[in-house]
Amino acid sequence: MGSSQTESFEKMIGAISRLLKNGEMVVTGTLSPLPAAGCLLAKHTHAPDLEPMLYGDPENRLSEGLHEFFGVAQKGKVDVFFLSGLQIDRQGSINLSVVGDYDHPKLRLPGGAGSAMLYSMSRRTILFTMTHTKKLFVPKVDFVNATAFDGETRTPWRRGGLSHVVTPLCVMKFDEERKQVVLDSLLPGVTLEEVVENTGFDLDVAGRQIPVMEPLTEEEQSALRGPVLEKMRTIYPLVCRMIWG
Amino acid sequence: MPFIPVIGFLGTDYMKIRDDFKVVKDPYSGEDYVVVPPIIPDVAVIHGLKGDRSGGVTVLGARNDRLLATAARKTIAVVEELVEPGEVLPGLQEVYVAPVHIDAVVVAPGGAHPTECPGRYEIDAGHIMTYLTAAKDEASFQNYLETYITGPADHEAYLKKVGFRTPDAT
Repeated sequence: MGSSQTESFEKMIGAISRLLKNGEMVVTGTLSPLPAAGCLLAKHTHAPDLEPMLYGDPENRLSEGLHEFFGVAQKGKVDVFFLSGLQIDRQGSINLSVVGDYDHPKLRLPGGAGSAMLYSMSRRTILFTMTHTKKLFVPKVDFVNATAFDGETRTPWRRGGLSHVVTPLCVMKFDEERKQVVLDSLLPGVTLEEVVENTGFDLDVAGRQIPVMEPLTEEEQSALRGPVLEKMRTIYPLVCRMIWG
Repeated sequence: MPFIPVIGFLGTDYMKIRDDFKVVKDPYSGEDYVVVPPIIPDVAVIHGLKGDRSGGVTVLGARNDRLLATAARKTIAVVEELVEPGEVLPGLQEVYVAPVHIDAVVVAPGGAHPTECPGRYEIDAGHIMTYLTAAKDEASFQNYLETYITGPADHEAYLKKVGFRTPDAT
């Protein structure tokens, strides 16, 4: 993996870290290496009392099985959860099931697993993506696995929904009033045009000054390459070798 | 349980494709809930770390193997190691599954290959790639089956064929 790719991932990890607040209980599920690294980075910098629960962490003990974690979420203990999707739309809905028509799909995926429940039961959810293209950010997903907010239906007990989306190009946020995803900031080195050209819906940038994220500080950089990476190698050894060698 | 409520499905497309997902009124709060029918597997095959001849096993807590074993009509536990009864003690990452839930124990060190067995061995990414490449068309998939699945005489021969290294004793 090239060094610019590594840098791009590190910027995303930094962006995720800065979205997390001290004292929050932050949970990452399967196949979520960048969010896991973001949690650890936050804990090693501005959020020492963050409570991370990272899937795959050998130090994370359960008394019976993974399903207990769903109970933890339903109790309302999860402040932040991370999800992704093969498609994400302007309303923040995610698609993890099929591309194309459900009965004759171009691509069939493993499905949404617990995403619908977790999107409703976590206080806020951050979506993350490993690419940023028009194929991914679409006006309307082909299949809704989980919703960012309650539309016509009411989800009893719903505690929250979408807060931000972190991509290799930018950070988007969910506009609570208009119930849509809008651009929040650009990652360092990325232009507004790049983001607009690669997004399949209007990010409401007209007439707005979009800030650029501050580059990783020296403190963040050394925490990331030091204790964060050391811990990450015990959770995601293969991914870490691919990104950092 | 005849069914359970699942939070979060209202407003999703699951409701369009799953006619077995129903909306019912909660008799206590009067709210609408989506309920789903139970999944009762005929057979569950779970991967354990330690097992004994009575059927007691330890499995990884980060999975749902205990839940699976209690749901299925029959459960087969594949274990890395056969130990004496009384030594089936869960390690830090493990939980115990009682013999009442287990119908057969298969002793197969390296039995999770090419996936991982956390704490014992990592995923064999090279072999997964071999499989993914082979699975792209019928001929190469048949070739894969003959080379790795139907070809080797037994599990030991399979492990030898894929170049599985016995993890160092810790």
